[in-house]
This record gives sequence, C-alpha cells and structure tokens, in this order.
Amino acid sequence: MNRSGVGLADRMPDRFGSLRTRLALLYSIVLFVLAAVMVGAIYLGLSRALSDEPMSRLARFEQLATDAAQASEVEPASLVPDERPPRPWLVIFEEEVNRRALERLRAYSFTALAGLFLGSLLVGWYVAGLVLRPIGRISAVAREITATDLSRRIDLGGPSDELRDLADTFDEMLGRLDESFEGQRRFVAEASHELRNPLAVLRTNLDVVMADPQAGPEDFRAAGVVALRAAERMSVLVDDLLLYAHHERPDAAREPLDLAVVVAETVEDFGAAAGRAGVGLELAERTGLAVLADAAAVRRAVANLLSNAIRVSDDGGSIRVSTGGDDDLVWVSVVDDGPGITAEHLDHVFQRFWRGDRSSAREAGRSGLGLAIVRQIAEGHGGRATVRSTPGEGATFTVWLPRYVNRVVARRERA
Amino acid sequence: MRILVVDDEADLLDALSRGLRREGYAVDTADDGEEALAKASWTPYDLICLDLTMHGIDGLEVCARLRAEPPGGVAPRILMLTARDTLEDRIRGLDVGADDYLVKPFAFDELTARIRTLLRRDSGRSGAVLEVGDVVVDTARHHASRAGRDLGLTAKEFAVLRYFMSRPGEVLSQEQLLDHVWDEHADPFTNTVRVTVGTLRRKLTVGDEEPALETVVGSGYRLFDPDAGHDPNGDSDR
Repeated sequence: MNRSGVGLADRMPDRFGSLRTRLALLYSIVLFVLAAVMVGAIYLGLSRALSDEPMSRLARFEQLATDAAQASEVEPASLVPDERPPRPWLVIFEEEVNRRALERLRAYSFTALAGLFLGSLLVGWYVAGLVLRPIGRISAVAREITATDLSRRIDLGGPSDELRDLADTFDEMLGRLDESFEGQRRFVAEASHELRNPLAVLRTNLDVVMADPQAGPEDFRAAGVVALRAAERMSVLVDDLLLYAHHERPDAAREPLDLAVVVAETVEDFGAAAGRAGVGLELAERTGLAVLADAAAVRRAVANLLSNAIRVSDDGGSIRVSTGGDDDLVWVSVVDDGPGITAEHLDHVFQRFWRGDRSSAREAGRSGLGLAIVRQIAEGHGGRATVRSTPGEGATFTVWLPRYVNRVVARRERA
Repeated sequence: MRILVVDDEADLLDALSRGLRREGYAVDTADDGEEALAKASWTPYDLICLDLTMHGIDGLEVCARLRAEPPGGVAPRILMLTARDTLEDRIRGLDVGADDYLVKPFAFDELTARIRTLLRRDSGRSGAVLEVGDVVVDTARHHASRAGRDLGLTAKEFAVLRYFMSRPGEVLSQEQLLDHVWDEHADPFTNTVRVTVGTLRRKLTVGDEEPALETVVGSGYRLFDPDAGHDPNGDSDR
C-alpha cells in the first residue's frame, strides 16, 4: 500500500507537477468557482423572486389584464380588483411556468459552466505556456552549460519584464563565473608552465647523466647540484603559489592595527638580510596609522617589497622605508636606489610571473609572484599598490590602504 | 650534423648540449633569441632546438625570422621546445614554421629520436638505419659497419660518417664538414677535418675492399655511392 502510494507520487509530478498544468488548473478552477457562484446567485435570486411575488396575487396582474383587454377592444368583464384569494388554476399555471423557466435556466447554466470550464482550461493552458516559455528556454540553456564551457548565454530578447530581468541577471552571473573560471584556468596554466621549466632542467640533467656510461662521480655530483637548484626553485614557487592562492580569497580575520608598528617590526626582521647584502635600511615612521587588516598579510606585503628592494640594490646601496597617511588613506613606501625600471616595464611589474630579467631571476630562485602577491594583498584590503621609477636612480613601491576609523571612538571623541 | 640549442635556462642548456654531443652531434648554444639569430646567420645549422618562451626575442619570433629570411638560403630544421602545451600554443608554433614540437619536461631519448627523424628528412630516408652500398650506419644505436664488420668508430668519426651517409655521392668540402660536424669551438685552421677523415677512411677500407671514401682533389671528399652509378660531376681523380 505504502509502495503503491510512493509509486503514484513518483508518477504524478510529471503531469501534475508541471507549473503549466497547475497554473492552467488553478486558473480554470478559480474561474469556474467564480462563474458557479455567480450563476448560482442569479439562479437563487431569480427563483426566490419568482416564489416571493406570485404574479397571480398582484394588482399589477389585474392591470395587465385590463391593458390587454383595452388593446383587444374587449369590455373588461368583472375585472375589478378583488381581495379574494387567487384562483387555484392560475396559481398552478403560474407555478408550472416558473418551474419550467428555472429548469431551463438550470440546464443552460450547467452547460455554460461546463463549457466555461473546458474553455478556461484550454485558455489557461495556452496562456500559461506562453508565459512559461522563456523559463523553459532559461532552464534549457542552464542545463546545457557545464562548468567547462561557460561561454553560453541565455540572451532572452523581448520586452523588459520580470522574466527578461531574471534571464539578464542569470547572464550576468554567468559572465562573472566565466571570468573567474577563466582567471583560474589561466592561473593554473601559468603555474604549471612555471613548474615545468625546473622540472625539465631536473629531468634532462638526470636523463643525460644516467644514460652516460662514462659518467664519473663528478658528473653525478654536478647533476645533483643542478637538481638541488631546480628543487629549490620549485619549492619557492610552490610556496608562493600557495600564498597567492590563499590571498586570492581574503577570508582571514581582520583586526584594527597600526600600520607603522607592523612595518617597523618587518623592517627589523630584515635588518640581518640587508646587512648581509651590504645594503643600508632606514625607517622613517609616523605612528597612529590605523588600518583594518590581516596582520600576517600586511607583513607579507611589506616583506616582499623589502626583499625585492634588497635584491635589486647593489652593495652599498640604501633602502628607505617610510609610512604616512591622510584622512582617508595610509601608506607604506619602500624606496631603493637600484637600477630602476624602464617605462615599458612599469605596467608589468605587478603581473604574476613577470620577471625583469628572466634568466638571472631564475638563478636567484625567484618565483615571479612576490610583487603580484603585494598587489593582491593591497587590493584585497580595498587599497592598491603603485610603483614609480626613474631608470638608473631607483624605484619607489607604495602600498596604499584605507584608513580605519573606529566609529565608536570617533563618536565618543566628538561628544 | 650541427645543432644549435637555444634556451634561457642555463642548467638545461648545459645538460642538452652535453647529451647531444655524446650522441655525436656538433652542438652550439645560445641563451637568448638575439644570440640565436646571430649564430644562425653565420653557421648553416642542420637543426635548431628552440625554446619558445624567452626574454626579449622569443622562440616564435626567431622561428618566424629564420623562415622569412633563411641564412644562406636554406632554413634549418626547427624543433620547438616549450613548457606551454595548450593547443593554441602548439598550433602557433607549427604555424610560424617549426618542424616539430616537444613539451617540457621531456625524456631525453624522445628528443634524440625526434632530432634523428627531423635530420633524416633531409636525406629523404625514412629509417634510423642508413645504408650506402655495404656500409650500414644505425643512427639510433650508434653502430657503424661495413659488410658486417664493426668499424669501431670514435664519436667524431661516427658523426663524420653519418654526415657522408646522409649525402652519398656528393662532394663535401672541408668547410662543409667543419660547419656541420664540428661545433663553434673547433679551430678552423687546424687539420682536424683531414685527420678525422683519414682515420675514418682507414677504418672503412681494410684489405682489398673497394675504397668507400674518396678524395676529390681541390674540392673535398665523397662517399662512393654504388647506387648512383655514373658520376655526374666527372671531377673524380679516380
């Protein structure tokens, strides 16, 4: 019993679960009920009126007889109003006429109602189909779209109504999805390309030395050194790839912090590295630069700028780090006196995997993601990263972040 | 057979040139597009292994320029090496005139197999084994024999014989041999070509065998091709 119930429920939705069927049914049932109520009211009203006012008792009936007699030029005999009860045959006749009229009315009403129901069902089915057709198109396109091909659009034409609005919204969402998928795909392609180069170095070196029957210990040692270098490069790359992927979705907890303090700490951390490279590192800080940020991310951005500056600086060079801000923005800038960046390259420095000098960058084990991560962190916090440079004199990298205004504190101070 | 390897990865360049030299090729290297174009303009390479993505002039452009204006009129075979493996990249590479395409990282054996295939196209033969008369050279297994007798060649002698085998009956000058069998480090003023050809000739012909390698006075050397029959040049000294 239970099973048959389930079977029925399974089969039902196909026909009765369709919105079109339900709309058509609802439409015709509502119309039918309205019409039935109306017809019933007319019928009831009429039948009551007929039985409440039997014509045979009315003076008006007598008058009617008079008029009829006058019209036929016949002397109206004994048609004076009388107060006697109506004659039984007249009553019976009248009742019979009424009954037949009501019966006819009933029959017509039922036929009309049945016709109306059928007609409304048809019209309802047609109209519902008309209204729902765009939805069918929307779902057909949505079904055809797979995660790998997001290029299709619904592109619903016609008047700008609710459904068009729905389709356009859907299209916009697809556009955003497509964009983000495309970005993801590009990133994966670039990342795998970047990983393939050190892999090729590794593999070819090992292939060549293993296939050489005369290879001695020195050859194997040399291949080992190359393999280590390639492995080092790959691990730097993988670390930075993970960082980059992590910062692409800024979901880390944000807290109010003083940018100057974070910068000062990071600069201190880099003191030793700068000393080893023979580069002077000075900090001109202005405290009280409140930002709402992920401290680790900000530290990472500053650290990337610093290691970049140390890398491009010659022995004896100097790096100046300064912080500052106005009412809306706070900033940290790192100024180096390295070779600088030519104008044609300025637009590319924040692009991922862009390296000023490819081969030397690779030997230094750089991923080409450092500055891209800086930009990503800045933009993830609602700020931006900029660069200015005079070739031959150095470059200035600046990260701008929106100043954090604590509304509670601000209100209290105003009060 | 002389090959130019172009890549901006120094470590890869080293390994490739070492491996290919061991295969008996004369190998030059270039670490960017500019150097590659310069070297290709004065040396008639038989093949160029070209990295696609390089700083400055990239592999596509090098390939396109070599195809547009082949130095000396003959464009070398170009084998594109690249880390990019999307369909568009492959098509683009082949469209600008690359003869083959190999995606990094690759097995070194596959690279050498493809190089052999590309170089064979020049000689119009289809197998890895070259045969001229009773001289047989297996380019894949590095084995050379005459009438079943192992010749026991050094790598350089093998390379010289392979070059002769790809052009049987053709007179090859010392300069040609120097260009195609020796790399850029060879001193053009030594008699290394004469010495190597001399030892190769001695190994090729023992006892009363017919001489396989003959000297064409004033022009160079020629591998005797019994299939060619009549010598069209008629400048043989025999």
